[in-house]
Amino acid sequence: MAPPNRTARVAVLGSSVQRSRSKKHAAGRARSAVLRRLVLALLVLGALALLTISFRSPTSGVLHDVQGAGASALRPFQIAAERVARPFRDAYGYFDGLAGAKSENARLRRELRALRAQSTANLAGAQRAAELERLLHYEQGPTYPSDYRPVNTSVISFPSGPFAQQVAIAAGSSSGIGINTPVVSADGLVGRVTNVGPSTSVVTLITDPDSAVAARDLTTGVSGLIRHGQGNTLILDRVSKEQRVRKDDIIVTQGTRDRRYPDLYPYGIPIGHVLSFGTSDIASYLTVQVAPFASLGSLDSVAALVATKPTPKLP
Amino acid sequence: MSFVDGVKAAALLFLAAIMQVSIFAQVHVLGGVPDVLLVLLVAVALLRGAIVGAAGGFFAGLLVDTASLGRLGLTSLVLTIAGYWIGRYGETTGRDRAHAPFLSVAVVTILYSFGLLLVHFVLGERAPAGAMLRGLLPAIALNLILTAPVYALVRRLLRPLDRSGLTTEVQLLG
Repeated sequence: MAPPNRTARVAVLGSSVQRSRSKKHAAGRARSAVLRRLVLALLVLGALALLTISFRSPTSGVLHDVQGAGASALRPFQIAAERVARPFRDAYGYFDGLAGAKSENARLRRELRALRAQSTANLAGAQRAAELERLLHYEQGPTYPSDYRPVNTSVISFPSGPFAQQVAIAAGSSSGIGINTPVVSADGLVGRVTNVGPSTSVVTLITDPDSAVAARDLTTGVSGLIRHGQGNTLILDRVSKEQRVRKDDIIVTQGTRDRRYPDLYPYGIPIGHVLSFGTSDIASYLTVQVAPFASLGSLDSVAALVATKPTPKLP
Repeated sequence: MSFVDGVKAAALLFLAAIMQVSIFAQVHVLGGVPDVLLVLLVAVALLRGAIVGAAGGFFAGLLVDTASLGRLGLTSLVLTIAGYWIGRYGETTGRDRAHAPFLSVAVVTILYSFGLLLVHFVLGERAPAGAMLRGLLPAIALNLILTAPVYALVRRLLRPLDRSGLTTEVQLLG
């Protein structure tokens, strides 16, 4: 129902209100619309051109060099931002850690007692192994950690969503880092370098779906491939059902080289521990779930391992 | 837009891009990651229009891709379109409306996520739709939390333009 006191008014488009204005104004608006569309088209074309060149040569070429130089120029700003954020992150980590501190302390004390006993046994075994190697003139490639120079560096950018399992670090080719250089944290394996600039590099994490690391169970000697699993876990794949693993077994890098799955990591870098394992009648392999030692979601400082000894190549 | 405004907008976008790759990208709340760069771009585009929005999106995306040594042009492409679209909304329907920044941020967060998913899929790269969808609602909530302070800051630095000559809505005469 229309209100009784309604006055007769006419609804018209605002553009018609402007009709009295000069034609010059209308022409100006049309020109502005054309300019707007032209700018959008140019920018989209520019982005597509960059994307195409970058896609075709992701790790080399002029554009890659320019990007590397740009990344080097931005590095101080990223480091500054990271330093500003660090106290807040540390404070959050401190209060977060307090919640489960008591139970974690008890668990760590138990682990320490067990590891102390194991360490004594390992020390004797390592001495014996070194003696035997010397006697046999045992030839081998670079061994971890003695034949690797760690390039300690900070993480300056983080994966921004589910699309990338990569981080950028503040060291590059000028520090001796190259493609496939292994990267570790104080806790364990992090990943490998997949793109290098002069002073920054991109590290693809072991949780990336394209990552595959030849690994072995340190206790049982069972070998397999470490792949991306559910959530933040990993899977030790290709372990036959006849083989046995145990909960809490430690998984380390295998260090072998294979044409199909070339291992880029030296032997003995800790990866994680076995969380659970199981199988089904129709499965060909055991399903071994591994929890990584490294906190891949909150990396702060890492070390890129640059070999000081030539790495053997397969013929 | 004056030269001083351009410098202010560029400085804001530069800071936001650096903060996004170095700080905000590691803040994960229930699977969502806040995107301060996207929120700031929305604010700049709403206040300064489509051309500034598109150009700002392009260069901010370029900074993100350069700083993270990522696929150059990928973020630029999606942010350019997002900046342009929000700029148009700001020039027409959304101007002077209090809910415009919030509505824009919510819609652009969804479109930006799907845009990135689509580009990754087209390039044959990893495009985990499930993980993206799971993190979408928390990401919208986090971006909406950032919207009020970021928009207030940008509005303070970039005064709204007088757009009285751009009226296109229905008016009553009489």
